[in-house]
Amino acid sequence: MIFTAVAAVLAGTVLACFLAVLPGLHIYNVMGLVALFLYSLQGSGLAAMPEFYIPFMLGLVTGWSVLNTIPSVLLGAPDESAIFTVMPGQKYLMAGLGYEGAMMIGAGSLAGIFMLVFLIGPFAPKFLPAVSYVLNPHMHWILWVVITFILMTEWPKFGNRGPAGWRKFSAAWSTLGAGLLTFLLSGLLGFLLLYRPPVSVDNAFQNIMPAFAGLFAIPWCLLNAISGTEVPRQYVRDALNINGDVLLRSSVAGGIGGGFAAFFPVITGGIGGLLAGHATAQRDERVFMISQGVSKVVYYTGALMLFFAPGLFLTRGGGALIVKGLYMPHTRGDYYLALGSIALSGAVSFLLLSPLTKWTLKLIGKIDYRRISVFSLGIIAALVFIITGRAGLFVMAVAAGIGLIPVLFGSRRLNCLGVLLLPIACNMSGAGEPVAAFLGLLK
Amino acid sequence: MKGIAHFISGVAAASFCPWVVEAAQNGNPAFFILGAAAGILPDTIDFKFYRYFYRHDVSVEPRPDRLDPQPVADAIAAAVSEAAATGRPVRLKLCTLQLSADNWRQYRIRIDSDAGEVRVQFGPVVSTGQVPQPDTLPEQRPVAVAKLSAPVRQSYDSVYTVDIFDGPSFMFKGDEAGVVEIDFLSWHREWSHSFTFAALLVGLASLWMWQAGIVVFGAYAIHILEDQLGHMGSNLFFPFTKKRTSGLKWMYSGDAFPNFGCVWVCCLLIFWNLYVAIPEPLYHFSFFRLMLYAVIIPFAVFGAVHWLLVRADKGYPEITGIEWNI
Repeated sequence: MIFTAVAAVLAGTVLACFLAVLPGLHIYNVMGLVALFLYSLQGSGLAAMPEFYIPFMLGLVTGWSVLNTIPSVLLGAPDESAIFTVMPGQKYLMAGLGYEGAMMIGAGSLAGIFMLVFLIGPFAPKFLPAVSYVLNPHMHWILWVVITFILMTEWPKFGNRGPAGWRKFSAAWSTLGAGLLTFLLSGLLGFLLLYRPPVSVDNAFQNIMPAFAGLFAIPWCLLNAISGTEVPRQYVRDALNINGDVLLRSSVAGGIGGGFAAFFPVITGGIGGLLAGHATAQRDERVFMISQGVSKVVYYTGALMLFFAPGLFLTRGGGALIVKGLYMPHTRGDYYLALGSIALSGAVSFLLLSPLTKWTLKLIGKIDYRRISVFSLGIIAALVFIITGRAGLFVMAVAAGIGLIPVLFGSRRLNCLGVLLLPIACNMSGAGEPVAAFLGLLK
Repeated sequence: MKGIAHFISGVAAASFCPWVVEAAQNGNPAFFILGAAAGILPDTIDFKFYRYFYRHDVSVEPRPDRLDPQPVADAIAAAVSEAAATGRPVRLKLCTLQLSADNWRQYRIRIDSDAGEVRVQFGPVVSTGQVPQPDTLPEQRPVAVAKLSAPVRQSYDSVYTVDIFDGPSFMFKGDEAGVVEIDFLSWHREWSHSFTFAALLVGLASLWMWQAGIVVFGAYAIHILEDQLGHMGSNLFFPFTKKRTSGLKWMYSGDAFPNFGCVWVCCLLIFWNLYVAIPEPLYHFSFFRLMLYAVIIPFAVFGAVHWLLVRADKGYPEITGIEWNI
């Protein structure tokens, strides 16, 4: 059995290598397709062993969460109009240090794997059931409080000059207003997708995919394709400018953010990272980058790991939801299998990060950056069409319109998560149906 | 303190009200949202509304292509002179120097009340995260000095760094003895950070229900009290008090450890208040046990590991320090 599990983890990790390099493709989409394939196998009288597909799924998630650093750093070159929204990873790319930036985030991911397997893993079954027991009836207001924080803490980016008065005030509120508008519109889109899903119910695992592609991936690709940014020559250095203290502080910040997102429903890694960044008050860009690496691994992989934790069996995130449809864990053996798979896949993914980053850098050097962006745009649109049809493409186009608002006005892209946060928070508080009725979605 | 610390303190204050937890258990999140919003509201009022309508008499805008610190020093000295001569308040703003999307030229001023002078020097280019960018110090970094024509009294620091977003502002006001008082960020922590304004909001919230008024007051008051731990203080009983009451100077608002400590302890207090509201809990633990496992042990382990790592990196130049001669 152990060889089967190891082979499955490695297969999942290697597949994740290729998937991670494609910008805009989410691993949950692939897991959904795998689940549909497994269902079809069951329907035809064949069945795959859980000892194979569980480690395979864990390999997919872990590998992807480590390796999707590559597109986020190397394929997201900003131009000057992306004022204040330039992330440190992209700054590294524009300074010719894309490799170093990717490896720094990778070091954070490795620290995240370490935290999951050696810190959170052993203690989760002992402490988290009590935490879950106390907090479960309160998840709805926690979600509302998080929404309040997101909306109230966006910082005005303009209006710093000129005489006092309404002109200055309106300049400052252009970004804040755009943020609020983005949240509201994406929230309305979320209501529409929840109560009148335009995508067929046969694509149950993929109904949110077109909206996410439109809100996050399409504006990114469009911006890169239109701006025509030239990526400077990249240098590969073997040493990273970090030390143990930086790694420790980043791990704490990222671990808290990712852990929060993995434990609470609907909270994503981005929100967890935002909260942890504020809470730990870290200004160092290296700390920010490494903590993002920790956060995304703890969020994506941790959420799936907690599904296997004895006494907890927490279903958080799309990955756990997809696996739940296939298999319900019930023994400590399942948990140890999950921990072992995460450890193995994490280690292999980290080792693959360096060669894959170098390969992508070579690709960027040879092919025009604008072409890569257009190619990515084509892949995303094709995937959405293949999986969800014309209706999905329409949803993606609408979502892209909303997703462009923060890009154009320099507000937080995180506001696009209103697509999930608003309808689910309303539903958890019992206000979902009245709001849907008010919007005319229940007729 | 930073916004998130005030925000979560407001939630923690609300969690001490039994009706808030009871309402939340019944699916009503309104009180917690109210506590959270009221917790951060004083800063929201100042930073997102009031400051855009606050007028400055003098706006100092250094030129990015000619890094001459003398006009900056002269402008501050002139503002002090005018305040001393006229007795009227003079409001001065130092503008930031934005170079590109994420790059800002940093400069620093020192108002030396003992020497009776103001000194200004330009520094490196920093990112929006206030991290100095390598090799960006100007080749020539002269220190501009301007003599002050009147003695000054400062309620805040003597050194101010100007770099990102909106620059700092000062109000210079001469008193009868001829001393000019320097008020840092005179639009901040004034009426919005007073218990009297909190009482006004309580009145408004109580129009909905009196329980909401208590939540708002608790969250708002905790913000004001937390700010008193820092340097600037607040005008606690505006309009009855005219000046800010100086803070305890235990911390700066951006310090990492007090902010994180506050957020973490608040989260645990909220957790504890939710736990004690459960009639017959399935799990049993004491407050001490919660603090032991969630605060004392993790913080001690972090402290020990941090100490070991810093020791191991002895002599390693973690971040190159910028030398200032002011």
